[in-house]
Amino acid sequence: MTLAIETAVRGVAEVLRDRVAPTLDDGYAIEAVRLSAMMLTMMANAADDAVVLRVAENGQLRALFGEAAGIVDDATLSARLEEAARSSDPGLRISELDRETDRLRRLLVALQIQLEAQADEQATILGQRIWRMLRDIEASRAPRR
Amino acid sequence: MSDMEDRIAAYLAHRMPDARGIAVDDLSRIAGGSSQETFRFRAVWDEGDGPAERRLILRRAPPAGLVVAERDVEFSVYRALADSGVPVPRVYFMEMDDAWLERPFFIMAMAPGKPGHFWTSTDPFEGQAHEVGQRFWRHLGTLAAQDHAALGLTDLRNGTLGDGFWSAELRHWEALLDEHEAMTEPAVRGAIRWLRANPPSSPARPAIVHGDYRVGNFLFTPDGAISAVLDWEMCHVGDPLEDVAWAIDPMWTIESQFPLEDGLAAWETESGIAVDRVALDWWRLFACVKACAIWTTAAASFAAGRSRDMALAMTGVRGQSFHRTHLLALMADKGAMG
Repeated sequence: MTLAIETAVRGVAEVLRDRVAPTLDDGYAIEAVRLSAMMLTMMANAADDAVVLRVAENGQLRALFGEAAGIVDDATLSARLEEAARSSDPGLRISELDRETDRLRRLLVALQIQLEAQADEQATILGQRIWRMLRDIEASRAPRR
Repeated sequence: MSDMEDRIAAYLAHRMPDARGIAVDDLSRIAGGSSQETFRFRAVWDEGDGPAERRLILRRAPPAGLVVAERDVEFSVYRALADSGVPVPRVYFMEMDDAWLERPFFIMAMAPGKPGHFWTSTDPFEGQAHEVGQRFWRHLGTLAAQDHAALGLTDLRNGTLGDGFWSAELRHWEALLDEHEAMTEPAVRGAIRWLRANPPSSPARPAIVHGDYRVGNFLFTPDGAISAVLDWEMCHVGDPLEDVAWAIDPMWTIESQFPLEDGLAAWETESGIAVDRVALDWWRLFACVKACAIWTTAAASFAAGRSRDMALAMTGVRGQSFHRTHLLALMADKGAMG
């Protein structure tokens, strides 16, 4: 049986919580160990699907940009959206995916500003879709204890 | 801790030339208060009329913390509010010279009581929820009734502004996001645009805003009294509804212990200000943005290695997610999602 990252990290958290914390008598140290154990548990729970979540979000954003390019009035922004829609993730390291997510999210903010300024029916509907998408992304990325 | 005890004793001897044989012991760091390092200790000495003993608190600026705050804000506010009716600890010494304890610090009295164990108990105020709740809101109302200029607090952030507090505060927290945000958060940026496009009415009058008025930042005693309101390092001048909205944020609201409407009524009585419900709604969304900015600075401090306070790491992850989720719910209520 392979000792997966999340299993190992969860084990460390349990040792801190169940074996180390009870031996301490300094209040500040006890709290630091308790929080460290909770933090490690959250990290363990986030390890397995970290790449899947990031690839999925980037894919959602690119698909949205492809649609939005034909809706926005601003030609320069439209071109940026088309370019982003054709782009792909530079790699599968979490750091690489996070940099790409940040790049795409910055473009999403620019798109939202444009849609709010346009305020026609298509722009309003797309703007509302973006807010729902943000809600769904937040739910999928929420830390799990 | 013994070296630090010796250094504190030397400092007290420097500040109290008439005291003889000053000794410091029982020094321990208190968990929480992530924006300042907090220590409790006992000091004993001889005075002209006999021995003296005090339980004291030392608050020291951390290498890095939740927010960038003026280091003497908290001390100045404690001193100014000493006779205001808002319970605050008596402060003794403020020291900006790094030579004593590497960083600025101040020393104040240790107030009796304890914070409620809000996240781990269904009865955080140990049977005194009604009394604590009443006083929680009354003290906030008393604070809103203070004249910051008459108390000599015009040096606080926004202290000389007559109006435009919402705009100044929004800019303040947005600037912190601009500086520290590692991953762009379109939801938070969208909320900021909404807040700017839908400004609240001006407050009835400028008020001293605590900045972090909530459960966990006050001490209560067994009779249900609040002995001290603490953690004033984000204090500024602004719209008093900012504190009201912060106090009822779902992460720490005491609504399940004390009804909100009763609390708002107590606040109105003490402050002499009627709650503008539309403006309060604006400040509730603002509270989410502010919380996200605070948690962002916490995460940035930990990520950069400037702090190893685990509370910063936890709030940097869980706090941000909690408040973005709440922010998104508020935006849905405003019709943003159709």
